[in-house]
This record gives sequence, C-alpha cells and structure tokens, in this order.
Amino acid sequence: MLDTELSIQSGMPAPFHAYQLDDAYDEMFSSAGRPRDHYKRLFRRLMELTPEELEERQQAADLSFLHQGITFTVYSDTRGTERIFPYDLLPRIISAAEWDTVERGLIQRITALNLFLHDIYHDAQILRDKVVPFDLVYSSKHYRREMRGLDVPHGIYITVVGTDLIRLPDGQFAVLEDNLRVPSGASYMLANRAVMKRVFPGLFRNYGIRPLDFYGQALLTTMRYLAPPASGDPSIVLLSPGVFNSAYFEHTFLARQMGIPLVEGRDLIVHDARVFMRTTSGLRPVNVIYRRIDDDFIDPLVFRKDSMLGVPGLFSAYRKGNVTLANAAGTGVADDKAIYAYVPAIIRYYLGEDAILPNIDTFLCSDSVQCSYVLDNLDSLVVKAVGESGGYGMLVGPHSTAEQREEFRRQIQANPRNFIAQPTINLSRAPCFLEGQVEARHVDLRPYILYGERVTIVPGGLTRVALRRGSLVVNSSQGGGSKDTWVLHE
Amino acid sequence: MNSSMLSRVADSLYWMSRYLERADHVARQIDVHLTLVPEQATEAARKRRNRLIACLVGEGYPVEAVDSDYDLVHLLTFDEDNSNSIMRCVASARENARQVREQINTQMWEQINQLYLSVQGTSLEWLWQGQPHRFYHSINQDVYRFQGITDSRISRDQGWHFVQLGRYIERSAETADTLNVDFRELYSAALADDAGDQQTYLEWVGLLRGAAAYEAYSKVYMANVQPRFIIEFLLLNPEFPYSVHFGINMVQASLDALGALTDTHKSSRVFRLAGRLRAMLDFGQVDEIMDSGLGSYLLAIQNQSAQIHEAIYQTYINYPIDDKLAA
Amino acid sequence: MLYSVRHTTRFQYKLPVSEAITEIRMRPRDSEIQHCNLFRLTLRPQANALSFTDSLGNVVHHFSQPGVHQELQIVAESEVMVSAPPVLPASLDATAWAQNDEAAAAGDHWDMFQPSAYTTSTARLEALARELDVTRRDDPLTVLLALNAAIHRTFAYDATSTQVDSPIDDALLHRRGVCQDFTHIMLALVRNHLRLPARYVSGYLHHRRDDTSADGASHAWLEVFLPGLGWVGFDPTNNILAGERHIQVAIGRDYADVPPTRGVYKGGSGSELSVSVRVRPLHGSGGAAGTADAPLDDGSEPPVYRSTAQALQSSYAQAQQAAAQQQQQQQQQQ
Repeated sequence: MLDTELSIQSGMPAPFHAYQLDDAYDEMFSSAGRPRDHYKRLFRRLMELTPEELEERQQAADLSFLHQGITFTVYSDTRGTERIFPYDLLPRIISAAEWDTVERGLIQRITALNLFLHDIYHDAQILRDKVVPFDLVYSSKHYRREMRGLDVPHGIYITVVGTDLIRLPDGQFAVLEDNLRVPSGASYMLANRAVMKRVFPGLFRNYGIRPLDFYGQALLTTMRYLAPPASGDPSIVLLSPGVFNSAYFEHTFLARQMGIPLVEGRDLIVHDARVFMRTTSGLRPVNVIYRRIDDDFIDPLVFRKDSMLGVPGLFSAYRKGNVTLANAAGTGVADDKAIYAYVPAIIRYYLGEDAILPNIDTFLCSDSVQCSYVLDNLDSLVVKAVGESGGYGMLVGPHSTAEQREEFRRQIQANPRNFIAQPTINLSRAPCFLEGQVEARHVDLRPYILYGERVTIVPGGLTRVALRRGSLVVNSSQGGGSKDTWVLHE
Repeated sequence: MNSSMLSRVADSLYWMSRYLERADHVARQIDVHLTLVPEQATEAARKRRNRLIACLVGEGYPVEAVDSDYDLVHLLTFDEDNSNSIMRCVASARENARQVREQINTQMWEQINQLYLSVQGTSLEWLWQGQPHRFYHSINQDVYRFQGITDSRISRDQGWHFVQLGRYIERSAETADTLNVDFRELYSAALADDAGDQQTYLEWVGLLRGAAAYEAYSKVYMANVQPRFIIEFLLLNPEFPYSVHFGINMVQASLDALGALTDTHKSSRVFRLAGRLRAMLDFGQVDEIMDSGLGSYLLAIQNQSAQIHEAIYQTYINYPIDDKLAA
Repeated sequence: MLYSVRHTTRFQYKLPVSEAITEIRMRPRDSEIQHCNLFRLTLRPQANALSFTDSLGNVVHHFSQPGVHQELQIVAESEVMVSAPPVLPASLDATAWAQNDEAAAAGDHWDMFQPSAYTTSTARLEALARELDVTRRDDPLTVLLALNAAIHRTFAYDATSTQVDSPIDDALLHRRGVCQDFTHIMLALVRNHLRLPARYVSGYLHHRRDDTSADGASHAWLEVFLPGLGWVGFDPTNNILAGERHIQVAIGRDYADVPPTRGVYKGGSGSELSVSVRVRPLHGSGGAAGTADAPLDDGSEPPVYRSTAQALQSSYAQAQQAAAQQQQQQQQQQ
C-alpha cells in the first residue's frame, strides 16, 4: 500500500494534529481531513472546542463514573481489584443505513442459533444431516445432556445476547463472537449514554440519536414474557454470584433499572420443585430468574458439586417448568468458537438464507489439516480457546512473544478440540480523546439483543476501545475502555 | 414496588449499622481515655486501660500484653486481630454496605467509603505523634454524618428499621457494658474512699463522656456527679439518646413498624421480649436497682438484649423454612 | 421371573441438618425384557417425592426435607418382572467390527464411546490391556466373553478394598475391588481398546450361592452395543452374562451418572451410611402385591451392609472465602 500514513493537512485545528489513517477502516474519515457524512457535525463541534475544554469534559465524565462507583474487578490476585472502566469522550456514530444491515443480520443470526439449540436438545436433525459435525457438539463442554428433551417457554433459549461485531477493512460489519451465555456490558452502554448527555448536551440535542433508555423496561418485558404460564403476575429476580464478581456493579445496576430484587444463591430455596426467596416476610415464590451465573454453578445437585453460589434443587424446578432461567441452561454450546465456524451453515439450514453478517475465517484445530496450518502460522493468527470469553485464553500472533507461541503450541497439541484460530483482523479505528489530542484507536461493537415475544435490538450497543496504541484487544480485563455509540434516526 | 425485603439484605443493613455504631463508641472511648490519662496516677491509668480492654475487646483478653497507651491505641484502632478495632469495624460496615450497594443511596455509600479510606490511610505513628483527638473526633463526625444522611434521605421502609435496630441494639449494649465494667470498679473504689476523691470524680466524668452523656447529664443534674444519678441517667432516662431506656424504646418502635410491614404475628416472641425489657426499664427505680444489685439488673438487660437479637434473626432472617412452608 | 426388591438406605448425620434436597435413582427400568409393576418409596422424614425421566430413560425421584433432622431413611420397594434376554449366538461374524465402526461414524451412541470420569485411561490400565491382550481380533462377542472371564480371573472381589467411587487405579494397583471397579475397568478397556460403545448399569442381582459379588448390596455391570444384537450385558464380577437374575435400575456412562443417592443439605459434618438390599423371587403373580407390601421389619432382613462407600451427600457449607473465589471464577462474557 502506498500513502497509508497520511497526516491531516497542516492548518487543522489542534485536536487532530496527531490523527493518522492506516489500512484499517476509519469510522470518522473517508480520507484524510474528510469526515464521513454522519460524523460531520461532530467534526465541526470538535473544531470549536479547545483541547482544554475537551479535557475539562473528559474529567467531568471520569469523575461522574468514579462517584457512581461504576467499576469492574480484575482477577490478578484472589481478592480482585476494583477499577473504573475507562471511558472515552468521543462518541462512535453509526448511520441509519449501516444499522439497518446490522439489525437484520443479528435477528437472522439469533433466530437461527435459537433453532439450532432447540434442535440439538431434541431430535438433532442438523447433526443427522451432517451440517454440523456431531462430535463438535457432543464434545463441547457447554453441551448439557440434562437439557435433552426439555422444553423451555416459547422455545426461547437465548433471551439476552451480546454479539461482538467488528468492521472489516472494507467497512463491512462481521461477527467475531456470539455471546449466548451471560453477556455483560449493557450497564456500561447505559451509563456511557447518561454521562454523554451530561457532558455534551448541546451536541446531543441536534444529532438525531436513537434512544437506549428503554433497555431496563424491555429486559423486564422480555423476562415477563418467559414466565411459566401459571405464575400470574410473575416474580422476577436477578441472580448474581455476589459482590466479588467482576460484573457485580452491572448486576446491581440492572436490578435497579428493572425494579427487581438482586438475589444471591443463598437467598433462594427450592422445595418440592418450586423456588422461593427468603424475605423478612417469609418465603416468596420466584418465577423467572435472570441469572448471571454460569450453568456450572447454578445447582450443585446437577452441575458442579462444590458450587456455593447456586441453589440446590434449582434444576428440578426448571425441569418441571416451575421457574424460567434466562438464558436457558446449555446455550454455551452454540457460542463455542468451533461451532461458530458453522453458523453460516446453520443459518442456511434453518432459514434457507445466506448470512447477512459474515463470519471471520476460522481454522478448527480439531481438524488435523487445519491444525497443522495453525501451528505453522502462530505468528500471524489469533488463537482462541473455544469455551473461554472475556479475552482470556487468547493469543494474538503478531503481538506475541516466542514463549507465548510455544505455550499455545503445547496446549493446542495437547487438546486440539479446545482451540480455533482466525486471521488477525485489522479492526476499524475510531477517534479517541487521549492526552489532550484526538487519536485513532481500534474498536469493536457489542449490540444487545433481547429475544422475547419479539426480538428487540438496542440501537447502538457498547463500543469497546483498545486504548493502547496499536492494540487489537478491547476487553476490559485487558486494558480496554468504551465509548458511547450513536445510531442515527436517518 | 416490591414491599418485601430479602433476609440477607436486612442482615447486611443491620450489621452495617451495628459496626458503625461500634466504631463510633470505640473512637469516643479512646478519645476520652487519652484526655483523662495525663491527669491520672499510673495505677489508676493502668486500671482504666484494663477496663477499656474488658469493655471494648472482651473480658479475658490478656491485658498484660498491653502495657502502654500506645499499645492500647494500636489494639483498639488498628489491630487486625481484634474484630472490634475501629479498622475492623469500619471495614466490616463497608463490606456489609457493599453487599447491599443497590439498597442504599449514593451519599450513604460515599460517606462510608470515605470513612473507610480515611482510617485505612492513617498510620499508628502518624496518629500517635500527631493529634489523636482530631482523628477520633473525625470518626465520630463521619458516623454522625452517615446517620444524618440515613435519617434524612431514606424512606421509612423495612431497610431503615433494620438500620435503626442495629444502631440502638448496639448502643444499648455498649452503654450497659460500660456501666457494668466501670461501675463495678469505680463504685467499690468510691465506697472505700468514702466520698470520692478528685481522681474518682475524674473517672465518673470519664464514664459519662465515654457514653456521650456528660453535657446532657449536666443539664439535668448540673455538675452534681453522683453514682446513683449516673445510673439513673444512663439506664433509665427516656429522653437521652444514649441511655438504655431510650435505645430499647427505639428498638421496640422499629419492631412494631416492621411487624406491620411484614405481617408478623402479634404474638411473636420478638415482640414479647421487647415489651418485657421495655417494661422493666419503664418501671425501673434507681433505688430499687441499687438495693437489689446493679450487677444482676445489668446482666438481665444484657441477656434480654441478646435474646431480642436472636429473636429478630429467628423471625426475619434465619427462620427455619419448614415453618414458613407450612404457613 | 418376578422379583420383590427392597432397598433400604439410611444416613445418620453427626450433627443435625436441614434444607436437604436429595435425588435418587432406585426405580427399576422398563425395557424390552424388564417391567416394573410396582414401586413404592417410604421416606423419613416424610417428604413429597417427585420424579422425572432423564435423557437415558432412568426414572429419578427427588424430594426436599426442609426441617431439622439427624437421620434420613429411604426405603424403595419394587416388584419387577424380568424375562430372559434372547439367547446369544456362539460368536458373531468378523465383519461386526466394521459394522460397528460404520455406526460410530454416523454418531450413534457417541457418549458411550468416550472416556468418562471413571473410565479415563491410566498407565496401569494400559498395562492391563497389554497383559490381557485386549485388541480387536476374531469377532466382538468372542473377545468380550474372553475379557469378561479374564477380568474375573485377574481381580479379587473384596468389599473392603475400595469404595464405589474410587478411581480405577486403586483397584488396578491391588488387583482387587468391588463390582463397580470390575465394571469400570472393563468399560474402559472396551471403549478405549475395542472401540465399542459400552455403558454402565447399576441395579440388583438375585444372588446364588456361587456368585462372587456380595449379597445384600446393589450391583453393577456393563452393556456393550453389538451389531445385530443391541445392548448385551456382561457381568465381569461374576463372569456371567446379564440375564434373568439381573435387575436394571439405571444406566449411564459410568457410576458418576447414576449414583443411587445424591444430596445437598445445610449443616452437619459428615454422616454414616448403611445400605441393605433384599431381592426375593415371587412365585405366582397373584400374591405378588401382597408380598411387596410386607411390613418393613419382618425379621428376615439380611445383615446390614455397612460401609461409608456411598457417602455422596455433601454439606452445603457457606464458606465465604471459597464462595468469593467461585464468584470470581464466573467467566462473564465481557
């Protein structure tokens, strides 16, 4: 490539002096100095503000997060450390037309994945038809044999989804990961928006931004729809692992937004396959559990026997249909990163359509030919453990050391089924306000999808930013931050 | 809005409140001690130290290990092994608050968090070399501020009543404890001295100050510091917020309110216990109490307070679930 | 043959427990050759037993006992009709290996091919495989019958040597074990070395004097899926084929899938378990129900089989520290 590093012309106002374009798709600029249509007003506004004014707003935003106690926990030691989730001042903007494609693509994908889950826990027709290899499904550590033949309300397995999207160098959105178990981050999306409205009120008013505030309400409506038929006015709770969990802030935040109790395992009791919570006025029935605890921990009688976070007997109530778990148990098999490679085929199989949002090329180490390719190209590929998430168990080849590559080589050879690899994708970049000036950083996008009576997608989602220069890892546990995401009305 | 409250939440609010009250009490006691000591004879100071340890750490603590006020300040303020040290109390209160972060408002959280950070950020050397009074006083101020925010900002729902229960059960217990330990020793000393010398006078004043009562007492009895008046005031005065009687009145009021909010059966044991203790204080006469033995009277109060605590747990928090399933 | 079975389980807790939830697998299965006419559970403390059928067709009962108690007694009584399985041929065609592999490639019985918790290979197991020359030769049936006999010969039955949930290495080291060990070892060899689908069966045996396994306890054996024959039961403890004397209760990948009892409770600090099993043939179908309803203590109770073996109840301790660690282990898709 020639001319990949074009600087903005001299004479540009201060904040953009250091801004550079490269091979990655730039969210704001189509070419040097030329903002895309939907970014123009933001561009102009940034020109009017001095770096000092911007800095002041950034500080106001940071302070607001600090005071609200919007923190997450990093597991470096056993106690975990609380940190503020870094927030970037500049919004990421998505045009109405682009969003339309994303929305249709997500609805299609979620619909197909839900049908897939129902199928593999019932007749497994897709496996008989050899569209997805049965051993990939049966060997997935998230495939739950306890779910076989069990019917969930309205056939809905994946109630809350947070799909990770990235933008390819040509600007097209693609799916990086399906998060179908307990996706987190919606609270940051809402908190980012609230702060943005406070620090940039003027800009906000005139931009035509689609709202997000309804998320708590929509989540509640969705949970209500999933209640067991006999529960009347259903009692809904959010089940959290507790205060030491990294997402505890989010649990408290969402429980407040939904107006439902935040419970821990020890608050719940099962008797004769019915769930109750222990309150000061006695035992109160529970009909729907928005659980933020992994399958493994929800019931020591059925899953991990040493679990102290779960509720003994919960699964018996679930099996009888007396309580709904959202998401259903066993959804993790469909976001296994090896199954991911088959999602376009899954969409075609159930819906007879081509996938609207493409996948990233994926090499399965369970296949010996693909595996040897992966082992030969560890320095250029991204390797991921199939059952992990949150940026754990991942090797970014081009940024790795020789020791790290050797460690992964050893692990892959020991358990090939547990790994997949993908080409290193140059994620798109968006302007970020860092140390007094605007610089480009890699971003992804996690929209939140609610699957109830209908599919609701929050316009926008959480844009995560790799704040370290050149880094492609956006996870909060790995030094990522986030920014407000605007989807425009038109 | 959901009117029921999780038992775990009630438990956390109750203990958050108790631990803060305890931190407040310990801070005041050390503060009073440090201001009295310079004017005290060595032997009296040693005795006083031992009384404080008995009261604030527990009877049976090896007092020999603490042979200076420096050691005492460490033990009561920073000692990680003493679950009643100010540091541990504040940390426990904050941990309880963190468990119910969504139930308390931001100001309450910030206040308790700030108190925690300020205690964490203080070293024994800094404190000892500097102005201990300012430090302990600031702890009292922080606790009052927290209670002020709680009282002015929180709805009078179940949560508030559990906070009240924690505060007043703790407070009554502290006052009764102080009387029990201090009085036993001071009273016999006073009798032996026949009239009470200046040293003993100082001690009585110290007792009142430790119970946050000196100014209020003086308003009622002027500077007439007499053991029987002290007893009357700290035990039976229904208007003074640190008296046992006042505390039990508050406990009973909150229990009544909770009973209505949770539809607890009127004949529940917890109400009978509170009613009995209240009657004992309502009709208590200081002369009778002194005649028949203050020690046994205080013991009865302490036992009954402990029973009320137990009964609260049995009724609202740790109840056996088979009873409730049958109901 | 019609049997009446009484399976009595008693947990005695060192300290009182409460909020107990228990799951049991004690109801004999219904299959082509077996029918459970009657099943009755008596629980102390009294509880409401609910049931479901798991994905392998086992009937699981579960119940909760919220109140404080110090002893749990489960009496499971059943009346079961067992017919003799079809007579096996002397051997199979040598092409049976290939037929088996074809079915495997189609995904049939996938779970029953995989090493499970108790059937994962170890160095000692590999040594045994070499010693007994467990390889594909002749035809599957011939090899299996030989293996059944070889395991019986190689291992001594010793009720005190291992527990039902001991890893197979314990039995492999000492060359002695209980029926679960015989079964797990053969399962592991069949899956790993013969690559045939095999499953664990827990149940009861109507004992004869010459049986190796102990009377008065539950029994275990395995079934192997053979082309043209379906699931065929092998009992390596007694070196016999499963037949009319074997009463199937539950099937799974191994013991971990089908323990007779599994429970969680609050409080306590350990328990003592006693189990007794009595299997009696009933002659004539008319009086059958009456016999099954016989009073509990009819004097003919065999000596109680006492062991700490099935100690499966774990106390639901609320250790804050461990809980905190688990809270952190929760991955959360962030």
